[in-house]
Amino acid sequence: MKINKNQIGLVAALVTALVISPLTIARAADTPTLGRACSAEGANTGTSTDSLVCKSVGGKLIWQKVRLGANYGTPVSALRAPKGTIEFHHWRPEDKAVFQTIIDKFQDANPGTTINQVIMSSVDYTNLAYSKINTNKKAAVFVTSRGGQFDQFYKGGLLKDISDQRYMKQNVIQSALTPATVSGKVYGLPYQSLFNNPIYNADMFAKNGWKVPTTWTQLLSFCKTAKSAGIIPFAWPAATRGNAGQILNSFLMNADSNYATMAAHVAAIDTGKEDLQTDWFKSIANKYKAMNDAGCFPANVTGYNDTAAPADFAAGKAAIYPTGSFGISTVTKLNPAMSGKIKMFGMITTDSKPLYEGITNNTFILSVNAKASSTDQKIANAFISWLATPAMAQLYAVGTSQHVSIINVDYSANVDLLNVSDIMGKKLLLAPRFLFNNVNGVRNPLEDALIAIGGGADVNKTLADTSKTIKSNLGA
Amino acid sequence: MSLPALLIYSFLYLYPSIQNLLYSFTRWDGVTKPQYIGFRNFTYMLSNDVLFRKILGNNIKFTLFVVIFQTAFSLIFAIFLAKNSKGNIFFRTLFFFPTILSSVSVGLMWTFLYNPNYGFLNAAFKAIGLDNLAVNWLGDSRYSLLAVAITQVWFHTGQMVVIYVAGLQQIPQELYEAAEVDGATRWQQFKSVTWPMALPTTAVVVAYTTIQSFRAFDLIYSMTQGGPLNSSDLLVTNIFNLAFVGYKFGYAAAQTIFLVIMILLITWLQRRTLKIDYGVKS
Repeated sequence: MKINKNQIGLVAALVTALVISPLTIARAADTPTLGRACSAEGANTGTSTDSLVCKSVGGKLIWQKVRLGANYGTPVSALRAPKGTIEFHHWRPEDKAVFQTIIDKFQDANPGTTINQVIMSSVDYTNLAYSKINTNKKAAVFVTSRGGQFDQFYKGGLLKDISDQRYMKQNVIQSALTPATVSGKVYGLPYQSLFNNPIYNADMFAKNGWKVPTTWTQLLSFCKTAKSAGIIPFAWPAATRGNAGQILNSFLMNADSNYATMAAHVAAIDTGKEDLQTDWFKSIANKYKAMNDAGCFPANVTGYNDTAAPADFAAGKAAIYPTGSFGISTVTKLNPAMSGKIKMFGMITTDSKPLYEGITNNTFILSVNAKASSTDQKIANAFISWLATPAMAQLYAVGTSQHVSIINVDYSANVDLLNVSDIMGKKLLLAPRFLFNNVNGVRNPLEDALIAIGGGADVNKTLADTSKTIKSNLGA
Repeated sequence: MSLPALLIYSFLYLYPSIQNLLYSFTRWDGVTKPQYIGFRNFTYMLSNDVLFRKILGNNIKFTLFVVIFQTAFSLIFAIFLAKNSKGNIFFRTLFFFPTILSSVSVGLMWTFLYNPNYGFLNAAFKAIGLDNLAVNWLGDSRYSLLAVAITQVWFHTGQMVVIYVAGLQQIPQELYEAAEVDGATRWQQFKSVTWPMALPTTAVVVAYTTIQSFRAFDLIYSMTQGGPLNSSDLLVTNIFNLAFVGYKFGYAAAQTIFLVIMILLITWLQRRTLKIDYGVKS
């Protein structure tokens, strides 16, 4: 039987069609399309008004239009500001230039209005901001951090209710407002969406053929592998309590089979009903010890601070820098060549099915000073609405490598933001470390104990000693 | 003439001090109205507060180390640098140099020196074969207080050298000449002339060093923040944390009162021990 050219062509076309069609069909099924089936509940395609979210409808998971704001409306423009001068108090010296660009644009749009930045270091801000702002009515717009500081400002009557502002309803991702909400009223705009998960050198992982650990056993095994290759597995800045405490979020998120039990344990420790010697807390402490035993941390880790840790990570001496998305800009400033090579992963500390896959936090809460004059309050409100416009939020996000809680912000202009954006599609927990309200009396000594254990201190003795300290602190 | 000075003193010192005393009898979070609780802050501090006791112990150890070494070094350096030669003036300036630096800069500089993995100190120890001395200076609770105390001595010795030099230069040269004629050795000259004549200066140096060591807040804050596990916490850092991190302003005020009484008591004891008579007649 002779086969002519036409027949060969026909067969080739048929084979090609048979191979390509299923791929195309499969690809179409995977591509998020409104009304089509999806597989991972909670996964989303971003934070734009046309983004989709995978939600259950009648027992089936289907891609649906996401409602990020209080309604389906599109973001509104900024408010006009009256003439005058106010101060903007915050704790991010590294954002000064970007904020100044945004302020300059605001002042151009509102002639006769001036905003002066007053910046403190984060440590000073935590300790001194309340007393400074409380006695300064010109501090019309300021930021607070989630938890204790926000509560302090609220109790002091410094926060103006901004629940009814249109920009708060249409420009802001509503789920981000929780840290600034008290009894249904919103007292600030948590501007930054942080992801307090470890970042890793994706380039190094690829070159060494390492896989990102997705279970506790894999994590410990990875530490041994990386260490034997001469690499610091986790550049954990244990000498700097603030950043060292970030991994506690990861340990807490899967410390129990459900959120309520974990939160109950935290509340019990925070109020002195439980000490640190319970099996529940000891299991967390033992995991710090296990990480130390597996060689996850550098030598002398308790003397290893947040200057050495990002420097080692930036220099390619460490595989993982376990702080959060806010650490990216530090690393890329130290070594611009790291840009684009950084990715993020949720640190899973269980071998069972994890309850949560990562940590998020909404902080840098912008508020209007309730004690400022009404004109200054209007300027402050207009400035927050200016920051809440997608264009300004994008300027801030790209310039500072921070995700923001504003709708319709395009992160594609910053490769590092884009690279860690996939964590947003995972099941995230609002950073549980901040469930400890008693920072000085409970959280600080508790974190110090875990740092000491991570550095090789005896688990039982450290927990017993720290329990005594906490008990004493709570009695004072 | 003294009325304006008295008014300024009352406004800037007396009023805040009295206010602090009043707060020490209250439970106050710095935001809501203070609640009067009598002596409860003081009784709790002295009988139940485990952390306070630990920190008080730290403070005593820190002060002893600093007072002994800072006074000794400054006296030794001052004896060698007392004469106004060009070389001595140069070295006095050199020793005084750390004093003009900000304490936070000094703290950061020494944090780098103490870095257990990359710091100069451990590298130097390892280079000369003293590997067992290359420890985790600021990250190990056994060494952190010592490490900060060494920094404090380095930071302030130059200042005390200047005070001692001024004191030593007041000693009449004839006394040394008479001692030499009597055949006294350098050590005997020191024992019989320098030391007794330098006692008033020593009292000033010791009192000032004691007060400085109780106020070493910024160095501790920039180097260890009191850690690890409160091993380098001093009363001043604890008071700061109680007030501005824990919002326990009443309890912090009570500890401040305790600190002031303790400094007064120690300074009085030092004067008694050194038998200083400033010649003031009542």
